[in-house]
Amino acid sequence: MTWAHFNWLAPPAIILWFLASLMVMRRKNKLADMFMIGGILIFAVFIVGFWIGVQRPPMRTMGETRLWHSFFLSAAGFLAYKRWKYSWLLVFSSLLASVFAIINMLKPEMHSIALMPALQSYYFVPHVTAYMLSYSILAVGTIASLIQLKKINSGKPDFNLYAFLDNIIYIGLGFLMLGLITGAAWAKEAWGHYWSWDPKETWAFITAAAYLIYIHLRLREANRKITLLMLPLAFVLLMITWLGTSFLPSASGSVHVYS
Amino acid sequence: MEEKKFIWGSPWGYRASMFTVAAMVFGGFLLQLLYGPFNFYFLHRPVNYIVGALMLILSVLSLSAKNNELAKRLSGIHLAASLMVFLLIFSLIMGLTPQMTSLPQNADLWARLGFAQVTSSWPFIIIYLATLMSLAMTVARRVKERRKGDLVFLLNHVGLWLVLAAAGLGAADMRRHVMYVQEGQMEWRVHSDDRQVMELPLAIRLDDFIMEEYPARLAIIDRKTGAAQPPGRPELYQFDPEKSKTSLLDWDIQILDYHYQAVPAGAGAYQYSNMPASTQAVQVIAQNHHSKIIRLGWLSPGNSLLPPSTLFLDDKFALVMAQAEAKRFVSKIKVFAQSGQETEAEVEVNSPLRVGDWLIYQYGYDNRAGRMSTYSSFELIYDPWLYPVYAGLILWALGALGLIVQGKPGRGKIE
Ligand code: HEM
Repeated sequence: MTWAHFNWLAPPAIILWFLASLMVMRRKNKLADMFMIGGILIFAVFIVGFWIGVQRPPMRTMGETRLWHSFFLSAAGFLAYKRWKYSWLLVFSSLLASVFAIINMLKPEMHSIALMPALQSYYFVPHVTAYMLSYSILAVGTIASLIQLKKINSGKPDFNLYAFLDNIIYIGLGFLMLGLITGAAWAKEAWGHYWSWDPKETWAFITAAAYLIYIHLRLREANRKITLLMLPLAFVLLMITWLGTSFLPSASGSVHVYS
Repeated sequence: MEEKKFIWGSPWGYRASMFTVAAMVFGGFLLQLLYGPFNFYFLHRPVNYIVGALMLILSVLSLSAKNNELAKRLSGIHLAASLMVFLLIFSLIMGLTPQMTSLPQNADLWARLGFAQVTSSWPFIIIYLATLMSLAMTVARRVKERRKGDLVFLLNHVGLWLVLAAAGLGAADMRRHVMYVQEGQMEWRVHSDDRQVMELPLAIRLDDFIMEEYPARLAIIDRKTGAAQPPGRPELYQFDPEKSKTSLLDWDIQILDYHYQAVPAGAGAYQYSNMPASTQAVQVIAQNHHSKIIRLGWLSPGNSLLPPSTLFLDDKFALVMAQAEAKRFVSKIKVFAQSGQETEAEVEVNSPLRVGDWLIYQYGYDNRAGRMSTYSSFELIYDPWLYPVYAGLILWALGALGLIVQGKPGRGKIE
């Protein structure tokens, strides 16, 4: 298969994901599962066919890695949804997956944009998808923490919301750490060191530390408000890691700064 | 007296823990001012073994002392969270202020306290070691207590301990050298940091160096200044052998012929050739949107032996082929170890070769010669701690999966 086939296979997959999102919002869970799996299978078939077609692992160009992002985001999002039954997990991940598929259809000239050799690695896709999943999950956690803060201020914290918050932060931190671990293993394979405190790495450490503080503070009685305030703070740090590192004075010459 | 009791009284709260960690940091600053930055080499074998072993022995011993207050405090959540807060502060300083590799002569107080080189400052190292100790004692206590959620807890904390200990303390044993090897030759010497020739226990013979390039990209440049257009955000077109039409600025461009390996064939044309000095070349036809002028010709980025070839579009602009970018570069090598072991392998970026405790990385080549490079360079890293670190990373990753699948145990189940 070639990219020409992608334009025939991607739209049905995107439509299936869209339908899955609609169904899950209407609580038609069986249908949602079927549509979701259908879309994921279409992507799997294309990836296998494309792999055979190009006769090498398809990880050399931006277009090829976006293909994997779509696949892993939808698959991991679906599994997380099946485990936790939060319907927004399915909606979020199929939306993200569709965005990458649509970029691949609309911008065919970007298929062949070259990846420098250091980026051509089996770690690239799990590394980036784990981070994307964690960012979207932690965003939800942040919103929930703001709601809870408001409730505390009016004197009645919601204990179910606490349970939700803790779970969502555990899940988000889990993905965040998977991104960090795959990043460390990848850096070792590419450059011979796991961690070199490159600005992006430093900020990833900062972000992870902030979430770790939250989950450890939650284990014993600690000041409720300070504990909860860790979450919006951690998300600000996360945004700096994601978007801001290019602008920091400490960031000149980072391997993670893309123009 | 009241105040004192509050700080040191049982249960040991956050205040006392923060105070303790702050005291450690303060001690670190004193050491920093007295001795300068921490010299990591100090921890090299066997010191790191001793430090690690001591931590493990102390953690196990701490279990036998029944109801030992100190052990409880050191393995408690309060100290753990306080250590994390200080790690967060130090990493924030690292993330916000420029870090240096060596201090200038006239460094100011900020730099002399270690803030310009946080990772080799005494306060940071002390917090790092205290975190390792606290982790070890927490794990020991939890193993003894046996509680719900133990598995995920253990995977995360044991994994993290292994990673922090083996990659952190182990870093003191690592050595790195860059070795340059000519094609067809054998090399075993490198330069040390002080420019002395050193012999390594490994020799590398470079049998072949192969470089693949991406199809070179097309761009329009200003004929006078050579600046790619539009200035500031130049548009580069990487054609793809499947699709050969595009437009750049005001020009429609069509690729008529492309050779990955070509040499000049007279009259500005190129033809296929597999000579080592061959270069990329492309034949294009360009038409201006407005004036409908048509230009036809060959473009080539050239190399150190062949001149580039450009196409003048009008008296201001020219169409050129930019230097090709590397897609992959591979060295076919044979490695001879002192033990008599011989290994043949292909080494490339993201795929190093391991021989004993040495890792051999593809490092570079003659950039100006590109695929005509007659040498390849390798980074040789001596790292006896690879397996423990990977074991730790795997445990930790399983722990991360555990968090994803299990969420927070005990509380918070939504079913
Ligand atoms: C990879 C980073 C870490 C993760 C993912 C993590 C996760 C967790 C989790 C999920 C728990 C709750 C376990 C349970 O009771 O079910 C916990 C407890 C705890 N963690 Fe961590 N932790 C990490 C790093 C650390 C570090 C660096 C320290 C020490 C400085 C630490 C000290 C503790 C302590 C003291 C407890 C309480 C254990 C107890 O009293 O039973 N953790 N951690």
